[in-house]
Amino acid sequence: MTLSRRSLLGRLLQGLGVAVIVNRQVPVVQAAGEEPARNESGPLTVRVARPFDAETPVREFRPFLTPNHRFFVRSHFGPPPPDAISEANWTLRVGGLVERSQEFTLKDLRQMDAVTITAVVQCSGNGRAFHRPKVPGVQWERGAVGNAEWTGVRLRDLLAKAGVQAGARHVQLQGADRPVVASVPLFTRSIPLEKALHPDTILAYEMNGRPLPLLHGAPLRVITPGWMADSCMKWLTEITVQAEESQGYYMQTAYRVPTQPVESGTTPNVPSAPVEGMVVKSLIAAPQEGETVKSGPVTIQGMAWSGEVKVVKVEVSFDEGKTWEPARLVGEDRPYAWRQWQLVWKAKTAGAFTILCRAADASGEQQSAMTPWNPSGFLWNGWDRVSVTVTA
Amino acid sequence: MLSAAIIMAGLVVVTAAQEEDLATVSAALAPRAEGLIIARCSVCHSPDLVAQQRLPRARWEATVEKMKHWGAEISSDEADLLVRYLSARYHPGAPDHLPPLDSELRKAEPLTQEPLAEGPVTGVATRGAGIFEHNCQGCHGTGATGGMGPKLAKNPILKHEDLFWETVLHGRGPMPAWGSVLSHQDIADVHAWLLSK
Repeated sequence: MTLSRRSLLGRLLQGLGVAVIVNRQVPVVQAAGEEPARNESGPLTVRVARPFDAETPVREFRPFLTPNHRFFVRSHFGPPPPDAISEANWTLRVGGLVERSQEFTLKDLRQMDAVTITAVVQCSGNGRAFHRPKVPGVQWERGAVGNAEWTGVRLRDLLAKAGVQAGARHVQLQGADRPVVASVPLFTRSIPLEKALHPDTILAYEMNGRPLPLLHGAPLRVITPGWMADSCMKWLTEITVQAEESQGYYMQTAYRVPTQPVESGTTPNVPSAPVEGMVVKSLIAAPQEGETVKSGPVTIQGMAWSGEVKVVKVEVSFDEGKTWEPARLVGEDRPYAWRQWQLVWKAKTAGAFTILCRAADASGEQQSAMTPWNPSGFLWNGWDRVSVTVTA
Repeated sequence: MLSAAIIMAGLVVVTAAQEEDLATVSAALAPRAEGLIIARCSVCHSPDLVAQQRLPRARWEATVEKMKHWGAEISSDEADLLVRYLSARYHPGAPDHLPPLDSELRKAEPLTQEPLAEGPVTGVATRGAGIFEHNCQGCHGTGATGGMGPKLAKNPILKHEDLFWETVLHGRGPMPAWGSVLSHQDIADVHAWLLSK
């Protein structure tokens, strides 16, 4: 099929385009002691050159939808070899505790009912760099998050075709990406059956109206709206319905948070649970950190989001959180998407100012100044902060 | 109040004198440790992932141990050296932007200690097999049949020796430079072994 081959090539190029542009800024050889060049004007800020992990510069969050080539990239092993996911070879298998095991081609999926959902996708470690004491892992700052329109099929439609057996409780997700060294555990995840059967949980083959790019999981990835991205398996090839949560490192050790408070800097053996829903959070997209603005009216704008509930309030502070002014929620209002907000600040006096923002959601949760420390640095949602200089 | 909270939470008791000691230790260990990071760690991930961490010794120990467990080819001596280096250079009190290692140190000694040959060296295929397995197989596959990196058995590059050496010594695309890790004799041995495949 000429068309599909072309679209695969397009996807590859889209993915590679990002990698090539950004990698040009990164010396091929580099001592561990040398920080890679942070290309602040490029489409992405590279955190790790290989496997490619990069976040979106916050100024790019002004549009409601984050463009594909600026959307943050994260995976454990990098994309699978192209032939593993070419349309000719790729299939999705559904098995385990089902009445009838299924195998789908991309064409099969395209013939099923398509749904489009706007949803924030966010790395669990977004903001890890702000935890103190510091924790190991990719030192994400503010941009391992994005808001996109995802088009695909409902996971529950596929499960209905397969027929879920009694006793099924979890749905395991496996992608085609593989570690360089075979002794490294596969990135295998599972989600509870309830989330898998949720009508808004989809398997997406399009992102913002374009074929899903390679770096974002082509040809098919999971979207679990309201949940952190560790459930949004990229390069999906296998779905296994099962009684138990998946075993293995990435479900039983990584991507878990303690269910009781832990002392900062310690890694005690306490009960933990998988990272699931997002927590309420907000960012200031403009002005930018370090920007100089003229005195007079200054439009402060940003976005705020939460998990499966709506954002109801965003507030801004100019005095380190002593007093807060309400911002106006503007623009599109869709479930699972982020909400844009604005506040016109009358900057009267010249000098240095720190702008803070915080959001609250419909469940009554509100951002605190800091997020409770946890050993893996997940779910950071402390107040966002931008320093600006006002000139007369 | 917030900044005070950050400072309190981030408080790490490292005095200026200790800081200096750590810098001396990391400088002394750097040549060999940096070579190890390229040879052993960057099989799976680029060294920038290492350089952005700021961890106490116990967590460095746990990290190196985890990587060994996952298949990193690190001997106990090498693990010990890595932990000492990493916890001296990338400790919680180290600044976000560390000064680059000075150029003298970055001329890392080859892990294989032997005099650099003057002029052409003759490769020994039987030695090359082991060197390949230890250093190259992770990416180029068992028997050099390819993996994440290209298949090298019968690869045309083997006939263009200058290009082969250039690639191994200085890296190419995602492949790191091996000039600070492999001696010229090692590279010649790997080349000889690859020609026999």
